[in-house]
Amino acid sequence: MKRICLVCQNVDCKSRGSEEIMKELQQRVADQGLTDLEVKPYLCFGACQEGPNVVLYPEKSWYAGVKKEDLDDIMKHIAGGPHVTRLDTIDTSLKELIYQLLETGVF
Amino acid sequence: MEGILFPRGVVEEREGLKEYSSRGGYEALEKALKQLSSERVLQEVADSGLKGRGGAGFPTGKKWAFTAECPETPHYVVLNGGEDEPGSKKDRLLMENLPHLVLEGVILTAYAVRASKAYLYINAAYDEATRSMGDALAEAKQAAYCGERIAGSDFSLEILLTPAPSNYVAGEDTAALEVIEEKKPLPRQKPPFPATAGLFGKPTAMNNVETLANVPPIIARGAKWYRTFGTPESPGTMIFSLNDEVKRPGIYELPFGTALRYLIEECGGGTRDGKRIKAILLGGPSSAFLSADQIDLPLDHNSVRAAGSSIGCGVVRVITEGSCIVEETLRIAEFFAAESCGQCPACRMETNMLAAMLKKVQQGQGGAPLLDQFNKVISFNRGKGFCNLIHMPGPPIESALKLFRSDFEFHLAHGRCPQN
Ligand SMILES: Cc1cc2nc3c(=O)[nH]c(=O)nc-3n(C[C@H](O)[C@H](O)[C@H](O)COP(=O)(O)O)c2cc1C
Ligand code: FES
Repeated sequence: MKRICLVCQNVDCKSRGSEEIMKELQQRVADQGLTDLEVKPYLCFGACQEGPNVVLYPEKSWYAGVKKEDLDDIMKHIAGGPHVTRLDTIDTSLKELIYQLLETGVF
Repeated sequence: MEGILFPRGVVEEREGLKEYSSRGGYEALEKALKQLSSERVLQEVADSGLKGRGGAGFPTGKKWAFTAECPETPHYVVLNGGEDEPGSKKDRLLMENLPHLVLEGVILTAYAVRASKAYLYINAAYDEATRSMGDALAEAKQAAYCGERIAGSDFSLEILLTPAPSNYVAGEDTAALEVIEEKKPLPRQKPPFPATAGLFGKPTAMNNVETLANVPPIIARGAKWYRTFGTPESPGTMIFSLNDEVKRPGIYELPFGTALRYLIEECGGGTRDGKRIKAILLGGPSSAFLSADQIDLPLDHNSVRAAGSSIGCGVVRVITEGSCIVEETLRIAEFFAAESCGQCPACRMETNMLAAMLKKVQQGQGGAPLLDQFNKVISFNRGKGFCNLIHMPGPPIESALKLFRSDFEFHLAHGRCPQN
């Protein structure tokens, strides 16, 4: 299965710049020729006050409050580098809810 | 059976001022202005036990008291004729054919809550209702039932018409206030509630059309008489709308406590195609489904709540054997996703997510655990959002999953309805 990088595009995340984040990620993924990963918009992760929210699946990494400056580290993680701990701030119960939805195929 | 709003059966034609007066119209207003204080009028409505017919069933007298007692002035009254509930036509019928009854209700309400201005907020798609209410207003002015010093008393009231945008959320009370203030129909965060801080921040009594149509008979004949209809907890009558799934669709005024079976079988003549009933959706798309064996349920607020549903604004849909509950539920979820105003992220998330999940089920995608995710998404969003729309898709979806789980499982496994 193809790996996916989901970027929330609901109003709150959008108002915090998630559209540019998504475009930038898509660009960098294309530039680096990462064909096994697709960057896609997502409805909303329910952590709207903490956006922009980015989730990597199936590895289940949730990055909150993502800014352009963070994209280098996120790209490193995507390419096999370390998990970006400082952006991993969402509580486990919400993560579980969303991961379960992703597991049942709701994208 | 004698009704309160339709004493001689559902009115098919517009009743003008002359006809209305000849059956005692505006006598309640004259009586109130000559003999009763505004407190007394409010008390009578409180004693009658009248509850809102716009969906929530909140006690009208209690709501008015918040407004009446507010020291801030001016006070306003808003008649909510937004009516965008799918299948509901009762407010429209009342405004088209009994405009003076509705108008007298508005004027009495204004007297009770000490308002000096009232707005008639009417669905812009309702041309005839708008014309009818406008004409009634002109007739009433001519007869000195509104304007300066009504019927020779000290009470004055200005009444204005405002068109309501024809989208669902525009009927929500605070969204309606925004529209009257010439803004977009977006619900406000509550509290404060409109009763104390509503239109232009001032105390505002806002009620549904049917609610206010009950006020003139209550004042004319008294709370005690009113309570001879219905049940102690839900006095009076309610207008029910039956859709095309029955032989005689239409509008029926019945005392609260009447069995659902009477409405469907006696009034509606049973199902159109003679098929057996599979489910009943009582109260509009935001109510929980009932199963066919709940057909003897008495139609009053408490009984319906005890059965896990709500009476809402009285729209009753009958779903027959052979219909697929997954399809029904998907349509409801898509309706709410489309009607969410988008202002609150949680509501957008919930309504869109639920619709997307149901689409997956319908098309047979996603695993069996998907069915367990619905109530998680619903409870995650409970208590969020500015208005109640966020809570609307929950009851139909959760009840459908409980009552008709096999329909969902079949869809998931085969991507089609079990019937076809
Ligand atoms: C999304 C939404 C739509 C609503 N639409 C209407 C409507 O069209 N007409 C109406 O009377 N009430 C509507 N309501 C309910 C109103 O907010 C309010 O409760 C009602 O007008 C109060 O009147 P009542 O106490 O006489 O029922 C709606 C509520 C919500 C959450
Ligand atoms: S708006 Fe992005 S998580 Fe809700």
